[in-house]
Amino acid sequence: MGGMTGTAGAAGTADGAVTTAPVTSALAGHAEPPPHGLGVSLPAADAAAKTQGIYPYAADLWAEGLLWAAVLRSPHPHARILSIDTTEAARMPGVRAVVTHADVPGDTAHGRRIADRPVFASEIVRHHGEPIAAVAADHPDTARLAAAAIAVEYEVLEPVTDPEQAFAAEPLHPDGNLIRHIPLRFGDPEATGEVVVEGLYRIGRQDPAPIGAEAGLAVPRPDGGVEIYTASTDPHADRDLAAACFGLAPERVKVVVTGVPGAMGDREDPGMQLPLGLLALRTGHPVKLAATREESFLSHPHRHPTLLRYRHHADAEGKLVKVEAQILLDAGAYADSSAEALAAAVSFACGPYVVPHAFVEGWAVRTNNPPSGHVRGEGAMQVCAAYEGQMDKLAARLGMDPAELRLRNVMATGDLLPTGQTVTCPAPVAELLRAVRDEPLPALPQDDPDQDWLLPGGPDGAGEPGAVRRGVGYGLGMIHMLGAEGADEVSTATVKVTGSVATVICAAVETGQGFTTLARQIVQDVLGLEEVHVAPVDTDQPPSGPGARSRHTWVSGGAVERAARMVRTQLLQPLAAQFGMSTELLTIADGKITSYDGVLSTTVGEALDGKELWATAQCRPHPTEPLDETGQGDAFVGLAFCAVRAVVDVDVELGSVRVVEMAVAQDVGRVLNPAQARARIEAGITQGVGAALTENLRTSAGQVRRPDLTGYALPTALDTPDIRIVRLVEERDVVAPFGAKAISAVPVVTSPAAVASAVRAATGRPVNRLPIRPQAAVVTAG
Amino acid sequence: MTLPGSLDEAVAALSAMPAAVPVAGGTDLMAAVNSGLLRPAALVGLGRINEIRGWQYQDGHALLGAGLTHARMGRPDFAALIPALAAAARTAGPPQIRNAGTLGGNIASAAPTGDALPVLAALEATLVIAGPGGSRREIPVGHLLTGFDMLRPGELIGYVRVPLLHAPQTFLKATGRTGPGRAVASVAVVLDPARRNVRCAVGAVAPMPLRPLDAERWVASLIDWDGERTLAPEACAAFGDYVAAACIPDPAPALDGGEPGTLPPAALHLRRTVATLARRALGRALA
Repeated sequence: MGGMTGTAGAAGTADGAVTTAPVTSALAGHAEPPPHGLGVSLPAADAAAKTQGIYPYAADLWAEGLLWAAVLRSPHPHARILSIDTTEAARMPGVRAVVTHADVPGDTAHGRRIADRPVFASEIVRHHGEPIAAVAADHPDTARLAAAAIAVEYEVLEPVTDPEQAFAAEPLHPDGNLIRHIPLRFGDPEATGEVVVEGLYRIGRQDPAPIGAEAGLAVPRPDGGVEIYTASTDPHADRDLAAACFGLAPERVKVVVTGVPGAMGDREDPGMQLPLGLLALRTGHPVKLAATREESFLSHPHRHPTLLRYRHHADAEGKLVKVEAQILLDAGAYADSSAEALAAAVSFACGPYVVPHAFVEGWAVRTNNPPSGHVRGEGAMQVCAAYEGQMDKLAARLGMDPAELRLRNVMATGDLLPTGQTVTCPAPVAELLRAVRDEPLPALPQDDPDQDWLLPGGPDGAGEPGAVRRGVGYGLGMIHMLGAEGADEVSTATVKVTGSVATVICAAVETGQGFTTLARQIVQDVLGLEEVHVAPVDTDQPPSGPGARSRHTWVSGGAVERAARMVRTQLLQPLAAQFGMSTELLTIADGKITSYDGVLSTTVGEALDGKELWATAQCRPHPTEPLDETGQGDAFVGLAFCAVRAVVDVDVELGSVRVVEMAVAQDVGRVLNPAQARARIEAGITQGVGAALTENLRTSAGQVRRPDLTGYALPTALDTPDIRIVRLVEERDVVAPFGAKAISAVPVVTSPAAVASAVRAATGRPVNRLPIRPQAAVVTAG
Repeated sequence: MTLPGSLDEAVAALSAMPAAVPVAGGTDLMAAVNSGLLRPAALVGLGRINEIRGWQYQDGHALLGAGLTHARMGRPDFAALIPALAAAARTAGPPQIRNAGTLGGNIASAAPTGDALPVLAALEATLVIAGPGGSRREIPVGHLLTGFDMLRPGELIGYVRVPLLHAPQTFLKATGRTGPGRAVASVAVVLDPARRNVRCAVGAVAPMPLRPLDAERWVASLIDWDGERTLAPEACAAFGDYVAAACIPDPAPALDGGEPGTLPPAALHLRRTVATLARRALGRALA
């Protein structure tokens, strides 16, 4: 509600006067200055506004005279469109515009990575929920009713929903059904081990399920351009694809980033931004759209459902000899990030283990299932569940302790990935595993009778203590940081100092990962100023790229640090010259500049003397190369590792599982903000527990079933285990700015495997499918 | 939107506007409205009808107001009266839903997963239906849930008449998670020592609660009603299997006399779940 009052007065003009982020911090005005700089738990500046519900998100925006948009989506997963008749809808009172594929002035196909997705389906619909037309009307209900009144005649086609059938099926798209194939070959194909274990694993379709559904506001500009206010996580890429579709030069389209209400992958769905912009350009009015939860589930990309076949060879002592694997990713109807996900899946198919010989065949194929794309830990999470299943199988076959078997095989700095790349960054995998293994186990309920025992099934549930078995399992996971395979990773940042206030201007979007807090800490650290603001993001700023794989900590954080150092030099150079000393002998703290010997003491304000100092810098890590035709190449800038020990209780008669505790040890390089790091790990573990137990967007024959938060069960507080961060290993990565590594993704990658491993230990069942279904955790008598 | 203050005013408002839809907690109805599935021409809000927000006693029965919330039914004083209904109310969704959702709404929505429904079926509750002109009629809850006797235009569920049995009752529910969730299967077991009955109903596995009458009679005949009222674990397990087989029967033999088909794994798992719930529910009722 407060968001409305914050924005209403300024809205309505086309010159960007719509307020999108609060400026004031509720923390301002404390008598005692909070600790600042790197390494402290600086709270987020917007935390108070967000917890009070007054932080404006895109769904709260308002502009005078705005119209409401609704998108008509396909009810079929695969159909030929015979005709689209919009006359009935256009005649409805209150309807201002109806647009279809025929109204797209520029490129009719788009995609953040590969332009293979139509703005509106024209001849063929390829997935349930694909946009077909959009309506702008003066009331949201009118818009929805008008969209429903568009008459579309379909010839329903047989959907291809089994990715294994996609190879032989008729092409679903002019680009064909095979999006990428990587046949990785590493070592000797004839090598064999004394012990061989095989397994088949299936991973379900996790949805990012952002707590705020997609929303946006498009405002036409007097120059014929348009401004789109939305929770974009890659505003420049979104601007470019929108401009191409609108037939406009990129500078005529501006994307203004609003608060992002949850992002585990790419936001905001172009299938919503593009109709919005088209309708604003068509009507000359601001147009707003707020997706329903159902639309949200239907439109944004999901985690790739994956089928994995594995064969592990080991010697009698449990040392791995060879891994053979086949990995099939279901990309859904459009390519999106499937090629990158496949590269991660194939490269990390053996996990953080030393494997002398590896033969991994990976495919990403097109189907009529819901679209797959970038969701935190994509590719790496699916293979982790499979290779850790294999490690458990191998331990069982050899009669070894599962943790000991893993310890015999873990990789370290200097070892090779199956891609031929040498691991040059810190890889303290053994230390991580020992840390979680040696942590005392949580007390069994019978040993701690004073404690209320939360049984599987929950309070007042059907759980019975006598039927509950406890299991302990392990997961070791890894993921790369930054874009891989030659992606040009670069970010630009500007730092400005006026008086004793610094401002950071950088197009890295705060998605909840804590970048704005980190940027403030970096500037506080370098310039010794306590008050640092981070400007709202729009595409008038230089690009910073998408938020993924903690790349903003690296590239955008690195750019902010460089810019801040340049400002520092500009500030201190004249003083240093005046006193005949080097700038290194001067320090800035709490707004005061002092020299090492105390001779010089002034304030930043005095040194500036009313001037403003600006500096802009870029950060571009060392380049990578694409994987070649045998899956070889130095494709990754850096790697991050994590070990998780899961403790579960399973009611073996009902098959209900409760994760009691997750103990985590993680390779973080350096902790820049301890509270934030812990929060990110806890969030990642929780998302992983969801993927392990409940989160699966079900389809039948390509139709999404129950696209709502009742049908799609996210973990609640009761489902979330006790998360114990046992150790954060701080071995600095010398090539990364500040030595810090990616934090958010690797717990998501690792925790589902650990939960599955623990359920295996509790039940003795194979548990080769995620999420774990109750029938897979039942132990039948006899 | 009208907000009547009494049951008869509400009935009058509904009769005056046949297109109006009554709304109590709105936990199902408003979700349908918000997602655009339902566009009621008008709403008659039942939240101000105080007479249906509590309960009263009537010759060995409790007359429960249809506006009782799940949160209210979950409290200990109510649990002392009708333990199984209190247990069902405590498992019905997160606290926000329990604070708003009502007993009458649970019946009127008649969702297969409605948590109160198997309990009401096992209790053989009757519904007091308020109609135009101050009329009242009573129908068994099962008649409404099976569609045997529907609400007529202008009618509202006013009260639910439930026998006070002064004996253990249990409600158990299996969900896919530890947090609040919809039932995969639920089982209510009530003991009626006066009539020497065991009554059981299974929810969520069919469009309406199922009563395994043969299993009820069989297990009631095993119980020493004048003595300890206990059963061997094997008898409870047999009861569970009996209930489960009655609710999820084997496929019928083929007409040509061929081998009957087998249940798919998901149905077998559901049957095992019902058997486990029924065994545990009876065991806890007799403990």
